[in-house]
Amino acid sequence: MGEGRAVLHEAVEHLEHVLPAQAPIRDFVHHNTLHGFQHLPFRQAVAAAANRIGARGFLQLDEFRGHFQRGRIDPEDLRTALRAVAELDADAPLEPRLGKLRREDVFRAALLYDLNPITPARLRFEIEELRCLERLNAQVWPDSRSRLLKSAGVAEADALGDLWSACREALGIEYKVLHPEELTRVDAAGICEARSRLEADAYGLLVRTIARVGEDWTLRELMRSLTGEDLMLHLQPSLLRHLGSHLDQGLAAWHSPERPRGFYQAWRGSMASDLGWGLIDLPGWRAIIARLPTGAVDAVAAHLRLLGLPERKWADYLERLSLELPGWSGMFLWRDHHPAYGGFGDIPVGLTEYLAVRLVLERLFAHGMCRKRWQIEPNLEEIRRHFHHHPAELLVRHALYNERLPEHLVTLARGLTQQATFSIEQLTDAAWQEAAERIEAWRCGAPDGRTQDASASGSAWQLFLLCQHLGVSGRELRRVGAGAAEGLLRCLRRMDEETAGYVWLLAYERHYREQIFGALVANHGRGRRTDPTAVPEAQLVFCMDDREEGMRRNLEEINPELETFGAAGFFGIAVNWRGLDDTAVTPLCPIVVTPSHEAREVPQCGTENVNAMHERRRAMRLRWKQRLYEGTRRDLLSSALMIAAAAPATLVALTVKVLAPSRIGRLALRLRTGFDLAVPTRVEFEAPADSPLATPQQPRFGFTDVEQADRVQGLLRTIGLTSVFAPLIAVLGHGSTSENNPHMAAYDCGACSGRHGGPNARLFAAMANRREVRGILAERGLVIPEATWFLGGHRNTSTSAVTWFDRDALPPTHAAALAKLDADLLEAARNHARERCRRFASAPAAPTPLQAHRHVIERSFDFSQARPELGHATNAAAFIGRRSMSRGAFFDRRTFLISYDPTQDPAGTVLEAILLAAGPVGAGISLEYYFSTVNNERYGCGTKVVHNVTGLFGVMEGAGSDLRTGLPLQMIEIHEAMRLLIVVEHRTEVLDAICARQPALQELIGNGWVQLAAKHPDRAEVSFLEPDRGWARWAPSAGPPPTVERSADWFMGHSDALPPALVSRSAWGCA
Amino acid sequence: MTFESQLALVPLAPLLAALAIAGTRLFRLSAGDAAERPTARMATGGVAVSLLLMLALDAAALLKGLPHRVRFGTWFASGRFELPISFALDPLSLSLGTLVALIAFLALRFSVNYMHREAGFHRFFFAMSLFSAGMLLIVLAGNAALCFVGWELAGVSSYLLIGYSQQSEIATDNAVRAFVTNRIGDAGFLVGLAAAFYWIGSLEWREIGAGAVRLETLPAGVMVLGFVIAASAKSAQVPFAPWVARALEGPTPSSAIFYGSLMVHAGVYLLIRLEPVLDHSLAVMGLVAGLGAATVLYGWLSGLVQTDVKSALVFATITQVGLMFLECGLGWFDLAAWHLALHASWRAYQFLLAPSYMHLVGGPAKPAPGWLSGRQWLYTAALQRFWLEAAGDWLLLRPTRGLGDDMNAFDRQVVDRVTGSAEPARHLPTGPERETEPEAVARGYGSAGRLLEIAAARLARFEEHLLLQGAGGRLARALVQAANYLRAVEALLERPRYLLLLVMATFAVIL
Repeated sequence: MGEGRAVLHEAVEHLEHVLPAQAPIRDFVHHNTLHGFQHLPFRQAVAAAANRIGARGFLQLDEFRGHFQRGRIDPEDLRTALRAVAELDADAPLEPRLGKLRREDVFRAALLYDLNPITPARLRFEIEELRCLERLNAQVWPDSRSRLLKSAGVAEADALGDLWSACREALGIEYKVLHPEELTRVDAAGICEARSRLEADAYGLLVRTIARVGEDWTLRELMRSLTGEDLMLHLQPSLLRHLGSHLDQGLAAWHSPERPRGFYQAWRGSMASDLGWGLIDLPGWRAIIARLPTGAVDAVAAHLRLLGLPERKWADYLERLSLELPGWSGMFLWRDHHPAYGGFGDIPVGLTEYLAVRLVLERLFAHGMCRKRWQIEPNLEEIRRHFHHHPAELLVRHALYNERLPEHLVTLARGLTQQATFSIEQLTDAAWQEAAERIEAWRCGAPDGRTQDASASGSAWQLFLLCQHLGVSGRELRRVGAGAAEGLLRCLRRMDEETAGYVWLLAYERHYREQIFGALVANHGRGRRTDPTAVPEAQLVFCMDDREEGMRRNLEEINPELETFGAAGFFGIAVNWRGLDDTAVTPLCPIVVTPSHEAREVPQCGTENVNAMHERRRAMRLRWKQRLYEGTRRDLLSSALMIAAAAPATLVALTVKVLAPSRIGRLALRLRTGFDLAVPTRVEFEAPADSPLATPQQPRFGFTDVEQADRVQGLLRTIGLTSVFAPLIAVLGHGSTSENNPHMAAYDCGACSGRHGGPNARLFAAMANRREVRGILAERGLVIPEATWFLGGHRNTSTSAVTWFDRDALPPTHAAALAKLDADLLEAARNHARERCRRFASAPAAPTPLQAHRHVIERSFDFSQARPELGHATNAAAFIGRRSMSRGAFFDRRTFLISYDPTQDPAGTVLEAILLAAGPVGAGISLEYYFSTVNNERYGCGTKVVHNVTGLFGVMEGAGSDLRTGLPLQMIEIHEAMRLLIVVEHRTEVLDAICARQPALQELIGNGWVQLAAKHPDRAEVSFLEPDRGWARWAPSAGPPPTVERSADWFMGHSDALPPALVSRSAWGCA
Repeated sequence: MTFESQLALVPLAPLLAALAIAGTRLFRLSAGDAAERPTARMATGGVAVSLLLMLALDAAALLKGLPHRVRFGTWFASGRFELPISFALDPLSLSLGTLVALIAFLALRFSVNYMHREAGFHRFFFAMSLFSAGMLLIVLAGNAALCFVGWELAGVSSYLLIGYSQQSEIATDNAVRAFVTNRIGDAGFLVGLAAAFYWIGSLEWREIGAGAVRLETLPAGVMVLGFVIAASAKSAQVPFAPWVARALEGPTPSSAIFYGSLMVHAGVYLLIRLEPVLDHSLAVMGLVAGLGAATVLYGWLSGLVQTDVKSALVFATITQVGLMFLECGLGWFDLAAWHLALHASWRAYQFLLAPSYMHLVGGPAKPAPGWLSGRQWLYTAALQRFWLEAAGDWLLLRPTRGLGDDMNAFDRQVVDRVTGSAEPARHLPTGPERETEPEAVARGYGSAGRLLEIAAARLARFEEHLLLQGAGGRLARALVQAANYLRAVEALLERPRYLLLLVMATFAVIL
């Protein structure tokens, strides 16, 4: 058993590569969906995931074709992308006698048009109804059309008929229309030959079928392919109840008394008293349950042995098993890997225990199926033995459940399987034999039966279409001969779905990249301050978040005297934060960091009484709220009273909430704060200089003066703000508010682990304002003028409202500056709202800034709104460099903007830190959006409207589905799925050196999970890094982007993705 | 045309809206985002008309009083039987009608944003309009037949919305299950209708109420039992309860108004409507109270272990509806009516807010009381929902399916062979066809000769097939086959389902 344990342990460890690694949904943080494959190059990783998880990792070809139609990809992009995939050898000539045609032409046809085989019935429809043998395919380009007609030299109908026969001749295929029933009529010689072949076929099939278990099948798949019955449908409802109950974070009031002993034990305890087993027809369930081992690991091993699976296949078997319900398995795995999460009740959660239960249940139901039909155990050897003696039965069952048989054969085969299951008398082999022969006869006779490829609706149809798109006529095809036709098809097959998806993605990315590079080059020098020593009116530090691009641009348009910066939204202060009303600390920093320090919000001196009252009232309000929302569903009689008391008010509230959401939302907010009483607060974050060392393992309260100075200096150096300081410097964290949104955390600050970043901004400002800190900084050569004041704030990305912290501490000399800034921020928020509205279908068509602002506020209060805001949707690029690089250009809220001054960091040490921190955050966001967009069914979580919050940790669809992970459809519907393009303002050598030093960046960049480009700090020059070829200097292919005065001139009236433009209003900065 | 005759428009407006939506979709008048607005307008507009009319009627009833019943003419008449199109305007119908219209309107307005860009957008609004019409018809109908029409409309639209995710096997499966369970209730309703028609001669609620007093216990019991079964199935009472927990597959707003707020209360409304009848049938009252009490226990205990919001809410809902049944059973119909209205309002709100439940509650739920929490058996029972569904399958589904399979086998093996209309595949030989031209026995001339010739041929073939081929001949084979059939029938009779069938048949004959 010991050896088996080791195998199992390793197998379970291995599952983290394939299972989704999403945390409980309240702690949602964006991460690379294929994190488990990140050690591979992007394309290989996608292919490996497709292979193991069975999920496509590129957009569907039709969607790409749609982008092509809309002009988001152009022919030039395709041409370049085809050349970027070296193994395609797109430039090679096709066949000397076919004129100038190259392989590229075949590939292009395969990318742009659907050249896949079709069904025989469809072919008949195409010929008889759509007249495809008389008219050229409507999609064929005019020059191909004229080439074909010219070379054929006859009328269109004749040319096509000739082409069709030439295609069939070249491939040696006959086309005849036969009814399936006629096909069972074969000659005597045929049947004898078939009969002798049948047995051999059956044995081969048997070996293959059994071997698949533990490779890409579980017992469930085996049973499904033999009986057509899915045992998952039977076991799922009961299983999900147990799973939900074990992982529950406090939605249910009642849990298994055995829950603290782990899932397997709790489930086993429940099994013994479950009457349900007696009610379903499961022979032998009692014996199976009585024999269950006490430990989960033993149970897994025992059941894999009972199944008769060799140990070398255990790992793969468990992987397949866990992938049957990836969401639930993933949650077990996450909890297993995060024992410190604790959660409600601090229940032990082990993936092995879950797998044990799955195996037992699988066996139970498979046992029932096998007993009923064949009186055997669900054991691979026994199943093999049974079908070894009854080969014909295997053939019939396999054909019935895995192939598309014509109706009369389905009736025949289904009759037999029913008889075998229900009839009292044993079915003789002769009956199976007869059916198997009939099926075989049909298969041999069917034009598309035995070899799918070489058939009229297969390869002949493909060749027929391809020739049309290439403009090759029948006459020409005959001239070049059968070998050339085969060559054409071979070339076509190289462009399989995976390759095509990758080529399309490259083209898609290139199209946008060209536009970005064009704008950056054209913008060179425009965003620079004319007098670098002039002091800006105010400076604002925002989060690097892509949503802030719009805000910053609009702000600069309104008041060019402002300077803006971007930094990861925790502003270098990793802290365990405890707000005034919090009962526990919350880490506010990127997910990969564990804070060593703690800080808290406390009432200001002299307001203790107000605070005490506030606490009492708030506690009371929450108690009643809890009673209302939870008591009315949990309790029996008191809930009836609560309902009766609350209902009349509810009816009014509901009516207003539906009809005027923002009005009642704001009213409720006012009432709430009025009732709770607002307490003036301050932050407490100081620690004496002789405090013990703070570590993530032993966090300590507060920061010493030196630690504070380190943090302030760190951020200012990172963003390059070291000399010209404005009198007022605002630091703005962000977060989002919305109603009725289980995925709320996904809209908040990614650099604060999906929470509101306001406290970090507040702490930063408070530290930077301290005399002691400034003293230390001055000693280090960073002199912040006396007159400069830092002000922390929080920006709501949904309503665009800004809340300032510690405003009362602002020196009166700065009041006017703040009032001016407030006015600018409000105007910018309105203009920005207008820009956001263009992407909302339900927003007013051409709103004024004020209307637009009202609309976005209403969305955040509207509980019927499944899209309160668009989050990071459309994010596509990240700029690391001075604002002068991008200031004065419109980037459509699609770029992360990270401030960094290369001139102050010639060796790239600061850059290295930025890349290490922002790279994974940006890539995580971009890749989560990428995968949720390209395959929302498998990597995303489908539509929000059927979501059902489960156990306070996830969502299901309806009341009995897998746990859904990833992003909902509503968040990604306008996203353009491409990999993040990081443009760094620095020299390529510096970047190379950094990547060489940092394996994490090597993985991300070298493996192509993000794209990297470098903008030269002094010249209008951009280089692009192609992972396998190195840096290439970019050359513009189109003219410079258009110039407009304001952003609104560019975006008004458009609702789709817009290319960059230059905005003259914001360009010149502080002149 | 009096003012109150506008009443007919109340259920008609949403119905017309539903038809209009279906029409525009059928002819594909528009597509994409642009198509949403007309659909949403038609649906909300239809219900808004109902709501405004109801409010106007309420005002009129308050100010000048309205007759309790409006009649628009005859639906159909035959002999002594007449079925009028009549609506009720008494306080019960008026208040519930207003509530239904209001909640339906709010849910539809909610859905305009919520369902934006859903693949099933139009389907959803079509079904919701249909449901609104059905629900309004249920509470406003003046007679049981019209009420039944509404009952069915609500049932069909519920089926359509549970199966909203057409691609999901679980969702469609559950839709069928809910639909089938509701058919049992419908059968009860039909029994009630037939009994009322047969023994009372009218389907008007008022006359059913008045007539029931004169009835004997048995007829009155049969009639009211039918209605009670219908009410229990629609309101998901034990033993029909399991369907409602499976009905949560649809979008949130539809779950809210079907299973949280409106349709699940239709059964309670029916009971309140039948108050005069129930009052005279103590035994049935006891039954209603018993069902209610059982449901309260079932819903509460199962509700305690639910780990997803929608299930937790739906169990809480049927617990409250169970309480309403209990109240009806105890004769407190007014209390039940108030309870219904208040509960419907609250639950609609709570269901619509279900997605944010996580953010609304501060911490974990209050744990189950100590005397309960340690009981493993009871916990398992609650978790498995007292095995009601499995028991139902065991009692009804499996025997029925078995019967079906046997019938199928009988058809194929006996009936088809006897009548000779087997499926074509059986006649297709796998080998080369045997040429079996019968030999000419005699040759005749003229029409009489021809007749003789045919007769001779027939006789010859008869002789050959039956007698000459001896043991391998037709007769022998037929006899062997008959013996086989008898043996099979005997074996079948040994199975419990046939025993059950036989017993049932015997009872049917005796009764």
